[in-house]
Amino acid sequence: MVHRYFRQLPLLLSLLGLLIFGGFASNLRAQAAVAPDPGTVAEKHETIPLKATPIFTIGKFTVTNSMLVTWIVAAGIIVFAQTATRKIKQVPTGAQNFWEWLVEGLYNFLESVIGSHLVKKTFWFFSTIFIFILFLNWFGLIPGVGTIGWGHHDPVTNAFRVDRPLLRGGNADLNLTFAMAATFFMLWIVWALQENGVGGFIVHLFGPKGDSKGILKILMIIVFFMVGWLEIVSILFRPISLSFRLYGNVYAGENMLEAMAHLVPALSWLIPIPFYFMELLVGIVQALVFMLLTAVFTLLIAHHEPVQSAQQ
Amino acid sequence: MSGSIHVGLAALGAAIGVGLIGMGAASAVGRNPGAATPILVQAILAIAFAEAIVFYALFLVPK
Repeated sequence: MVHRYFRQLPLLLSLLGLLIFGGFASNLRAQAAVAPDPGTVAEKHETIPLKATPIFTIGKFTVTNSMLVTWIVAAGIIVFAQTATRKIKQVPTGAQNFWEWLVEGLYNFLESVIGSHLVKKTFWFFSTIFIFILFLNWFGLIPGVGTIGWGHHDPVTNAFRVDRPLLRGGNADLNLTFAMAATFFMLWIVWALQENGVGGFIVHLFGPKGDSKGILKILMIIVFFMVGWLEIVSILFRPISLSFRLYGNVYAGENMLEAMAHLVPALSWLIPIPFYFMELLVGIVQALVFMLLTAVFTLLIAHHEPVQSAQQ
Repeated sequence: MSGSIHVGLAALGAAIGVGLIGMGAASAVGRNPGAATPILVQAILAIAFAEAIVFYALFLVPK
């Protein structure tokens, strides 16, 4: 019995360590959020600011470091895809093979989730979202993002502090994630109206579900009319939760890497390494979650029969 | 140490929720490996909804 507890000791210790680390991280964040005074923040551990920092302006148009990363990644994906598919071969090799594998895998996966009719119409959006978010998240993990930029020499620790990094993860900026969520929301309305028509759309929101007879039917109509309003509130909240979920995950990840790198100065090359692997995982999971959630929201409004996709 | 109690409670609840969903999904896949894709979809949806609570607490509650 005793050695059983001993076997669990490492687990307990690591849990305790996680709790303490978590406490440190939240502590730093809370201080940064409460005290935005640059003088005090510079003396504390570095935390990444909530907003992307502007690096230059063209007229009235401010270019932030997150925007720069967004453009670099978008251009990179376009160039990569174009060069890979310049000379299409019957038997794909190399880069063409990679894209065919990615797109075909995504297509088959989405088809199993939302059905063959919807996937033909909406695949372009979901695959773009997935590939774009995935590459953005992973680009943000490349060393140099967030550490190269303008800064100052700190006399206390005799080290160079970066105040305005040149690059910052694209999804660590709420503007981009909200733009994607808002784009999806518009498309969702368009697809919902195309699939149901205006009347069908309203019936879908407010109409009674299930079959009941007589007085119960009238009661159900009243109940589902009320439920419809709740449904509308939850639908209106979707872009907010979609954008905050992606932004929160990526921003918290960057902040955690930063906190880990400054935890023990002598070991700053070692401690973040496991967390980098976790961030790789978070990057792909969040891309998948964004794609799947948007796909399922579309499925929920567009399907008419009781769920049939679950049987595949 | 300083922090916000509402964020802490939301994170605690969401973590418990995500853990329960993951447990359910894992045991469901164990019982029926063929249904892995639909289970994954359900699990990710449910995890996303559970997780969203933290972000509401983090960003939407006035300080």
